[in-house]
Amino acid sequence: MCDVQAKLVAWLDRELPAEEASEVEHHVERCEECRHWAAKYRHLSETFDAYCDALMAPKAPGRVPRWVPVLASSVVAASLMLLVLLRTRVEPPPVLEPTVATPTGAVPGPSPAVELAPAAARAPHKAAVRRRHTSQAQRVQERATQGQPMDTAIQIAIPAEAMFPPGAMPAGINFVADLRIAPDGSVQQVRLRQ
Amino acid sequence: MSDDSVPLALPLIRVAADPSEVTNLYHELRKPLLRYLICLGLTSDEAQDVVQDAFVSLQRHLSSGGDQENIRGWLFRVAHNQARNRQTSYDRRFGETLDGGMEFLADSTTPEQVLLRKEKLRRVAAAIQLLAESERECLLLRAGGLRYREIGEVLGMATSTVGDTVERAMRKLAEKCNV
Repeated sequence: MCDVQAKLVAWLDRELPAEEASEVEHHVERCEECRHWAAKYRHLSETFDAYCDALMAPKAPGRVPRWVPVLASSVVAASLMLLVLLRTRVEPPPVLEPTVATPTGAVPGPSPAVELAPAAARAPHKAAVRRRHTSQAQRVQERATQGQPMDTAIQIAIPAEAMFPPGAMPAGINFVADLRIAPDGSVQQVRLRQ
Repeated sequence: MSDDSVPLALPLIRVAADPSEVTNLYHELRKPLLRYLICLGLTSDEAQDVVQDAFVSLQRHLSSGGDQENIRGWLFRVAHNQARNRQTSYDRRFGETLDGGMEFLADSTTPEQVLLRKEKLRRVAAAIQLLAESERECLLLRAGGLRYREIGEVLGMATSTVGDTVERAMRKLAEKCNV
């Protein structure tokens, strides 16, 4: 084994005094064994460095774990299924009976508006009654619709990783799906934005 | 050494005069410090805490008129000692610090090349396990870009001892793994 070999690492690390470093450099040019070891140490240092990076890479902050896109997809799928289920189970809103007593007696039937129209055709002399009934029916309709839910807006955040293959989009980008739900549970509008 | 290793010519003097200098130092040294601490066995969260604490300590140290020589070595020494103070996790994971965690390789080149690189890193990892603790720490600090003198200050060793330890560790690695 060559004596200079013990100085090779320090020489590669530029830790030797200038004069000594020069001597080692000249020796390495002539000695094949030392040249071989110098190359080996250099390569080993690079591999060691790569290994440190490898250790750090999966633990680095900010990296999205692999289960996040899977979980996000599951949440989106579950939300959509829930919406579909809700839509199929929506029952028609109950129609309120008019509470005001009519002069012609009780008008049975689920909808005063439906009942009043033929009544007005049959009895023109009851126009005043019809007008009164019509205005009552409108009030009843308004009261009935007041109990119904208004249009509902739902926002669902969807990570880009859930929609695109890995690497297609920069990390950390999310999309937002705006869903507008009608009172009967149907989806009226879907809008995707970033 | 990798391209992202710590620059050898860091501003060692007059850091305290300008707080932005400390900020620059933070941007420059945060990653090498994190890497060193994670390689020592700390989790990413623990390592970030330690780095944060180290820079808070640096700010206090400089504000109180502390020594401004070799700030880089000072920071690594503080971080090293804080990692040591977290003795539980340090002890628990030290034996497995340089094992596993090569998922990032899957992002590059062909599957065959990925396999070869993984195999190479596994051999290095197995060889590193056989090193003495001081040898491992010297190599980690050297990979972080520290000079032998700075490594000696961090670990409380003479510079010549660091040189001997690094040389011995590299020879052991070269003998035990053919990379």
